[in-house]
Amino acid sequence: MRKLRGEAADPSRASSFETDGLAFLDSLYRTALRLTRQPADAEDLVQETYLKAFRSADRFEPGTNLRAWLFTILHNTARNRARDRARDTITVDSEAVERAEVSSAATPGDTPETLLLRDMLAPELQAAVDALPEAFREAVWLRDVEEFSYAEIAAMLSIPVGTVMSRISRGRRLLFDRLQHLRPAHA
Amino acid sequence: MPDCSSIDPLITPFIDGDIGAADRRLVDAHIRACAPCYSRVAAEQAVRDLLHTRRASLTAGSASAALRHRCAALGSPSVQGSRPGVTTTKWRGRMTPLALTATLVIVVGGAFVYVSTDRSTRLLAAELTADHVKCFGVMNTLLGTSADGVAIESAMASTFGWQMHMPETTGAPGLELVGARPCLYAKGRVAHLMYRHNGHPVSVFMIPNMARPGVPGIRDEVVDVMGHEATAWSSGGRTFVVVAREPEADVAQVVSFVQASLK
Repeated sequence: MRKLRGEAADPSRASSFETDGLAFLDSLYRTALRLTRQPADAEDLVQETYLKAFRSADRFEPGTNLRAWLFTILHNTARNRARDRARDTITVDSEAVERAEVSSAATPGDTPETLLLRDMLAPELQAAVDALPEAFREAVWLRDVEEFSYAEIAAMLSIPVGTVMSRISRGRRLLFDRLQHLRPAHA
Repeated sequence: MPDCSSIDPLITPFIDGDIGAADRRLVDAHIRACAPCYSRVAAEQAVRDLLHTRRASLTAGSASAALRHRCAALGSPSVQGSRPGVTTTKWRGRMTPLALTATLVIVVGGAFVYVSTDRSTRLLAAELTADHVKCFGVMNTLLGTSADGVAIESAMASTFGWQMHMPETTGAPGLELVGARPCLYAKGRVAHLMYRHNGHPVSVFMIPNMARPGVPGIRDEVVDVMGHEATAWSSGGRTFVVVAREPEADVAQVVSFVQASLK
């Protein structure tokens, strides 16, 4: 683990911190890919994340969740990049959708569990996830794929836990809508 | 029976199994009697289950070995030297092509005080590369920049007390001045000159009052970082770093031009 604040620098601890941190590279990259949807951008985002993490290693409290800490840096960096680039279209889209009423996708007689589990392939599911507005995409991904808790996601995204749950809920229902529309292709 | 609006915030934790027993019974009772809420639970549950079922496939991809190496190399300097196969820093001497004779930038004087740290060239290169990407991708879009050499000279002089000369770039084929701004790195105490070489972004950073340790007979330290090539050298008590993402030969050509211009 990294040194505590005020503690003398210890190269072996620094090395351990870096080794521990790099163990999460794959999941950080996958999440970066979900956020950016471009491999090159995802790689840049991950590198900037590690650069910031290594530079700020002394701020990490040993014993706390290193994975969540790295994901927090990743999301903050992604958010700053998006803001800096003034590419607010995705954010505006997310907010608009968040306010909008989510239509009821279920129709009488359908069994969505059976339908989705039977027909949907991972690449199509992946594409449907990628098509979600950013706010919902990251919430659903962090919860259902990366399996973070509500509290951890709330800390990462700097939003209340209630908002996390709301985004997960709406994201899942939007995803359900999208997957339902893909159904005829598999029928 | 509680109304739907009071059940609404409980549905997601109900599906995730992150709810107390009393609330669970409440939701359970409600969705037995409320078709819309039952439908909502079923849809949400279906997606959650699907994602969990497909989780192995969704997380099957992994970062490339190149990315892994680049991230590992961003670690502390103490680790870099001992990590085999990661450190890609290479020293090489470069002969300055005499074909590129035009002067690019002449630093006449500097009034900066750069706070030197124990950071490695790799970390310096990584930070400047991040700045290079941000400036080309963000700052220029948001703030714009001037490609007027005289205006840049004036801005450097008035902002930093830097007296510098920004000559024409016509002596370097394919090189076009984009602009200049204080670098985000080191709290704006570094000058950042931006060019395009054959259409590709190229940055020239000048760090005053900082001479990096060198090896006799070898001038340039070349670092591959974040998909870019950063070339650092010191001259006249200043350190210069050129950052570009071009074929090595093209980067070498630009570096040579800059170095020739500094003679």
